[in-house]
Amino acid sequence: MPGGGHCPDCGSTELVEDSHYSQSQLVCSDCGCVVTEGVLTTTFSDEGNLREVTYSRSTGENDQVSRSQQRGLRRVRDLCRVLQLPSTFEDTAVAYYQQAYRHSGIRAARLQKKEVLVGCCVLITCRQHNWPLTMGTVCALLYADLDVFSGTYMQIVKLLGLDVPSLCLADLVKTYCSSFRLFQASPSVPAKYVEDKEKMLSRTLQLVELADETWLVTGRHPLPVITAATFLAWQSLQPSHRLTCSLARFCKLANVDLPYPASSRLQELLSVLLRMAERLAWLQVLKLDKRSVVKHIGDLLQHRHTLVRKAFRDGTAEMEAGEKELRGRCQGPEQGKEEVASSSLNLPEGKRPASPTPLLPPCMLKPPKRICPPPPVSTVTGDENISDSEIEQYLRTPQEIKDFEKAQAARQAARSVSNPP
Amino acid sequence: MAPTVCSGLDRVEAEAQGRDLRGPCPAPSRPDPQLGPASPFAPAGLINGPCATRAQSGSAAAQLAWALPRSRLSALLTVGPPPMEEEQTYLELYLDQCAAQDDLTPPGSPLLSPVVPNDGYIPNTSNSETVFNSHLQEVKGASGHFSSVDLSFLPDELTQESKDQSVIRSKQDIEENCKTQSQQSRLSLPREQDMGLGLISDSTLSKSHSQAYPGDADSVQPSPEKPNSTPLMSITPMTPVTPVSECSGIVPQLQNIVSTVNLACKLDLKKIALHAKNAEYNPKRFAAVIMRIREPRTTALIFSSGKMVCTGAKSEEQSRLAARKYARVVQKLGFPARFLDFKIQNMVGSCDVRFPIRLEGLVLTHQQFSSYEPELFPGLIYRMVKPRIVLLIFVSGKVVLTGAKERSEIYEAFENIYPILKGFKKA
Repeated sequence: MPGGGHCPDCGSTELVEDSHYSQSQLVCSDCGCVVTEGVLTTTFSDEGNLREVTYSRSTGENDQVSRSQQRGLRRVRDLCRVLQLPSTFEDTAVAYYQQAYRHSGIRAARLQKKEVLVGCCVLITCRQHNWPLTMGTVCALLYADLDVFSGTYMQIVKLLGLDVPSLCLADLVKTYCSSFRLFQASPSVPAKYVEDKEKMLSRTLQLVELADETWLVTGRHPLPVITAATFLAWQSLQPSHRLTCSLARFCKLANVDLPYPASSRLQELLSVLLRMAERLAWLQVLKLDKRSVVKHIGDLLQHRHTLVRKAFRDGTAEMEAGEKELRGRCQGPEQGKEEVASSSLNLPEGKRPASPTPLLPPCMLKPPKRICPPPPVSTVTGDENISDSEIEQYLRTPQEIKDFEKAQAARQAARSVSNPP
Repeated sequence: MAPTVCSGLDRVEAEAQGRDLRGPCPAPSRPDPQLGPASPFAPAGLINGPCATRAQSGSAAAQLAWALPRSRLSALLTVGPPPMEEEQTYLELYLDQCAAQDDLTPPGSPLLSPVVPNDGYIPNTSNSETVFNSHLQEVKGASGHFSSVDLSFLPDELTQESKDQSVIRSKQDIEENCKTQSQQSRLSLPREQDMGLGLISDSTLSKSHSQAYPGDADSVQPSPEKPNSTPLMSITPMTPVTPVSECSGIVPQLQNIVSTVNLACKLDLKKIALHAKNAEYNPKRFAAVIMRIREPRTTALIFSSGKMVCTGAKSEEQSRLAARKYARVVQKLGFPARFLDFKIQNMVGSCDVRFPIRLEGLVLTHQQFSSYEPELFPGLIYRMVKPRIVLLIFVSGKVVLTGAKERSEIYEAFENIYPILKGFKKA
């Protein structure tokens, strides 16, 4: 600045304010000596606000990134913070989003899809680190439709060529059960309903493992199974007070949404437990039903491995046994059946519970809704003659055409009358 | 009016025949990307609809069709080329054969015993056959003089000798098909009628045949359930195929065939919707007429450009017949419709392995091919690389196969997946 200061070298007063690589300097115009230098970090010009600008704002990195991509990256970071994920997850998710954005199909996609893409990147990151995050949670947080989410998710996994491991069931059980508000007494939760978290967790885990072993989990959404297992675990820990509580009420108390399939999963799980109870010596005498079996879930879980083996036969072995039985029936009606039954059961002659049911997924146990007959053998060659009469059956006669046109005109007229212009 | 209609009909028929003789065009008439394998979340319809489809290139199957003859031909190159004049003796031999129709094993032709065991399923030869056959029609016309055959489709590195070999090998394929006595042959009839080419009795060629086949040994499979097939016992395969106990014995049933055809004339959709009883047209919803016929039970989408999509047929021939019927309807309505470029775009099959499958285990071991998201869809989506087929595998053991352009691809894909599924039979 012209007023005040001379150059220490030559003593001239011609000092010019110049900037060298955005660093402001006071330079002597005669000898080129630098009198004073500005601070390297940029600061807000107002002296009262002297603070550093973050690296990401001072560098030009965001200038090359489009605004929608910047917005997406911000959304990814926000979502990671809302879900309280570790910071490494955030970086990975951001990297996936940037990688996805390099593809032209994603750049040109609608905003709705880009929004959903944010959720997809976070979900993939969580899956790869075995963090149990369900798609339902992500969709709820993003206010997104599961159909749109599924399409984008499948597309991005294929596009980026990613290996996404399956959802870890044990971790999901732990996080989901912890979200149930039953571990402390509150105005809404009576004292008798409060339960110890560890006991409930361990029992729920055992029930979910049992469900997995007996084909109740494969092909189904995992969450309703866990809900049913949690309910049964909770009930069985104090059955005398809790048998009266229904599944819906339980979820309401625990402040958790009840997924729709949970009730049918519950019934399936109870029928599995009943089958197992039939094999337990001291439970056979009690004629258990779906309500009373809850009281003995503890015992059943303790011996679950042997009971499952005894109660269920491998599906194919059962079918073979059944076939042998049929053949036996043809030859000697009584002997084949008895042989099969007693060899598999090892029980005294007096008591003979039902023969073991096959261990199959419920969809295979239900009778088929409709039996598809094998298609008739057709000897169509594709080059047969097509008769005129066959084609004419599809064409309208002139009279029909006139009638149809009249009807259409009448409908148009009626419509225009009902919507006056 | 009548004479022109008749001539038009004749032309359509001739075109239908002609086009079929040439077989599916290996030329890159790229299939509409929408007609690729259907979205996995709409298995019921399994025709590409407006739901979330992923565009898949259908050209990979065409690529496979090109790849196979090349690999076979390279195997043939190891064998010495037979001289040209042998083709005359082949012709004589064939005429002798035709005189004695029922003779399955004529003397001096050991090659006739290893006939393809399955009537309808010819392992991967159907692609190469159609390719060869398209050019063999000219051979017939040019009195068997092979130099006039246009074999420009073959890759450049092949010499004249290999061209002969390839042509002769295709003859042997045709002869095999002729001998299978199948009424339900997957090849179209005109091709079988053109068996004017000779038989091969050369043992060197039989050797080359066996060399060419080991790659397909695992894909050859019997189909004992086909009612018209020759019984397996009477055919002894010469090449070492997988023993019968390893074959699954289950044949996937075709459920849906999607095909396209070009009627090659601009259509007035309003007129079609007015004059045809079985048509619906709602331009605000979809820009095509939806027409249905009762026999074969199919649906067609007819666009104003003259292109048509025919869906719902249960076999290739039925799809072709249905498409011809739709073309006939359009013709009767007064349009100069033709029947060009009939092509099967997608085939869907299904079957049941009858045991439950641990999908979680399958996705762990075959991670690079499988996608199993129980939160989204109950089935596992298995993308097989060779052949390029998408399989939907369910816990009940039911398998849906889609994305095939040929019936053999579906059968081969199922034979490939069956041993994998058997590995997951037990818990």
